[in-house]
Amino acid sequence: MKVLKVNQPASAGIAMGRAALYKPKIRKIAENTVDTNEIPHEIERFKEAVLKAEAQLKELSEANPIFAAHLEMVKDSTLHEAVILKIAEEGQNTEKAVFGACEELITIFGALEDAYMKERAADIKDIRERLLNNLTGVSAAFLTYGEDAILIAKDLTPSDTASLDLSKIKGLITRDGGITSHVAILAKSLSLPALVGVKEIMEEVREEDYLILDGYNGEILINPDGEILDKYNLLLEKHLEENRLKREEESLAGKTTDGREIHLFANVGNTGDVKKAVNFQIDGIGLYRSEFLYLNSSYFPTEEEQFLAYKESALLCGKEITIRTLDIGGDKTLPYFPMEKEDNPFLGWRAIRISLNEKEMFKNQLRAILRASAFGKIKILFPMIISLHELLKAKEILKECMAELSEQGISYDGSIETGVMIETPASVLCAEELAAEADFFSIGTNDLTQYLLAVDRGNAKIAELYNSFHPAVLRSIRLVTQAAHRYGKKAGMCGEFAGNEKATKLLIGLGLDELSMTPAKVADIKYTLRRISYEEAKSLAEEACKQTSAEAVIRVLEEN
Amino acid sequence: MVSQTFIITNQNGLHARPAGELAKIASTCSSDIMLRVGEKRVNPKSILNIMAAAIRCGTEIEIECTGASEEEDLKKLCEAIEQGLGE
Repeated sequence: MKVLKVNQPASAGIAMGRAALYKPKIRKIAENTVDTNEIPHEIERFKEAVLKAEAQLKELSEANPIFAAHLEMVKDSTLHEAVILKIAEEGQNTEKAVFGACEELITIFGALEDAYMKERAADIKDIRERLLNNLTGVSAAFLTYGEDAILIAKDLTPSDTASLDLSKIKGLITRDGGITSHVAILAKSLSLPALVGVKEIMEEVREEDYLILDGYNGEILINPDGEILDKYNLLLEKHLEENRLKREEESLAGKTTDGREIHLFANVGNTGDVKKAVNFQIDGIGLYRSEFLYLNSSYFPTEEEQFLAYKESALLCGKEITIRTLDIGGDKTLPYFPMEKEDNPFLGWRAIRISLNEKEMFKNQLRAILRASAFGKIKILFPMIISLHELLKAKEILKECMAELSEQGISYDGSIETGVMIETPASVLCAEELAAEADFFSIGTNDLTQYLLAVDRGNAKIAELYNSFHPAVLRSIRLVTQAAHRYGKKAGMCGEFAGNEKATKLLIGLGLDELSMTPAKVADIKYTLRRISYEEAKSLAEEACKQTSAEAVIRVLEEN
Repeated sequence: MVSQTFIITNQNGLHARPAGELAKIASTCSSDIMLRVGEKRVNPKSILNIMAAAIRCGTEIEIECTGASEEEDLKKLCEAIEQGLGE
C-alpha cells in the first residue's frame, strides 16, 4: 500500500472507491494562414462560437453562479478585440487566434501575486476550451466511470465539474490547484471529500486502483489491505452517524452532559448576514460588527440610516443581538475620514479611542442603537477598552444620548446592557474593576492573542508563534471569567477560537458562558458541547493552564 | 464628470463573480466609465480588466463617469457596489 499526503485538505470527509482517471485528449490547434478575403468569414466563425457559448453559459449559470462570470468573460470586449486583431492583422485562423489571445490572459493572471486571483487563470482556460469546442465541434474532455468512483485529474474546470455525475462520484483529487480553486469550493459546497495540489497523483495512481481518500488527514491510501479497509469502513460509519446526529441535535439546547447551558451565538457584519444566520439554530447574534455600515458607505452613515439597519437586524434576529460600536483604525480605514499614517496602526488611534475623541460621530451611533433597542433585545459592546476610565466615559456619553431621546419623547430600552470587549492585555489585568461596571464581557481572541503574545499574525515568518492555545491566552481567559462571575456577570467569546471544536471543552472548562462564531459552525460546536461534562472540562482547563507551552496544551487536550 | 470612492468589502476582493456583476452593470451604462485603483486605470466594462487588477478586500477604488447619463450611471454603479455586487 502506498500513501500520499497533502498539508491541507480541500474538503473534509472520507471517500472510498475506484480511481477514475480524467484524460483530456490532446487538442491540436489547426494553424493555417488566412487569406485576406477569408478574414470576414473567420471573424464570423468567432462570433458564432461566442454566441453559442453565451447560450450554453446562460443555462449553466442558473445552477452555478460562476458561469455568470464566464458569460461576462466570453462577452468581454478586451478578449474580442485581441482575437479579432489576431485574425485581421496577423492573418491567423480563428482557433489559433482564440488560443493565443486566451494564452496571453492566462499568463497575466498566472503572474498575479494574490493566490485567489491567480487561480482565476483556470476560468480563462475553461472559456477557451468552451470556445474551441464550439469552433471545432470536438470536445477534448473524455471520461467514463462506474459506481463509487474517485475522480482524479490534473485539474478540473468549472465546466468539467458541472458535467460530473455526482450519484457515482464519491471524491475528487487533482494534481494542480490550491484550496481556493473552483474544485475545492465546489467540493466543499457539495460536502464531497477532496484533495487538491497532490503533485504525484498522476504517476502514482492507475485506473481502477482502489483508493481511500481521507479528507480529514489529507491522505490518499492506494490499494489498502483488509485491516485498513475495515478501519476506514468503521470510521466512515462513525462520521455518517455523527453527521446524522449533528442534524438531529441542531434544534436541541446547547448543554453539557451535566446540565451547564452555554449560549451559542453568530458573528455577523451586516443585515444580510443576520438573514443568513437565522437559518441556523442560534441563540442570538453575539457580535454585530457595525464598522461594515461605515465601510460600505461613502460618507458617515446618518443616525437614521444606522437606526434602520440595526432595527431591521433586531427584528430579523428576534433574539438578543450585541452590537459592537465602530471598530476602525488598525487595518480598516474610511475613505471619507482621513487618518494620519501611523507607524503602528494596531497600537494606534482605533476603535473606542476614535469614538471617544469624535464624540458627535459616537453619539450618532449610540442614538441609532438606542432607538433600535425599542424593537428587540440589543446590547452594546465597546471595543479596545484598556481602562475603567474609558468604559465610564463611554457610558456617560450613552447616558447623555438617553437623556436627549427622553426629552424628544423617542422610546428606547432604558436598561440596555453595555459590555467590554476584552482584547487588550490591560483589560484582562483590569477585569476586576471592569466587571463591577460592565454588564458583560466578550473576549476577542484574535486581537487578544496578537497583543498578549506580541505576534503579528499577518507576518508569515512568525505565523507559527500565533497560537490561541498558548498558556498566557488560557490564563487570561480564566482571569476574565473569574472576575465576571464574582460580580454575577457573563463572559463570552467572539473570536475565531470560539468556533474551534478542538478548543470547546477547554473553553467551557475555563468558565465561558457564551460562544459566538460563524453561524455555519454552530451545529458542530453544539454537537461537541453536548458530549462534554462541565466537571471534567474544569479539571482539563486547570491542567491546561499549568502547561508551559501551546504545544504542551495541545498534547494535554489530545490525551483527554 | 462625476466620481465617487468606495472601499471594496467583498471578502475575496473583486474575483470572478463580483467582477462579472460589475462589468455587467457597467456595460449597460452609456457614459464613459473609468475605475481607478492606486495608479492603475481599469475599464470596468471588461470583467477581464477588473480581474487582472486584482482588487482585494479593503482596497479603495474610485469610479468616474463621463457622459450625458453620468449622474444616473454613477448612482447605478454605486448601489451595486454598496450592495456587495451580488455577494
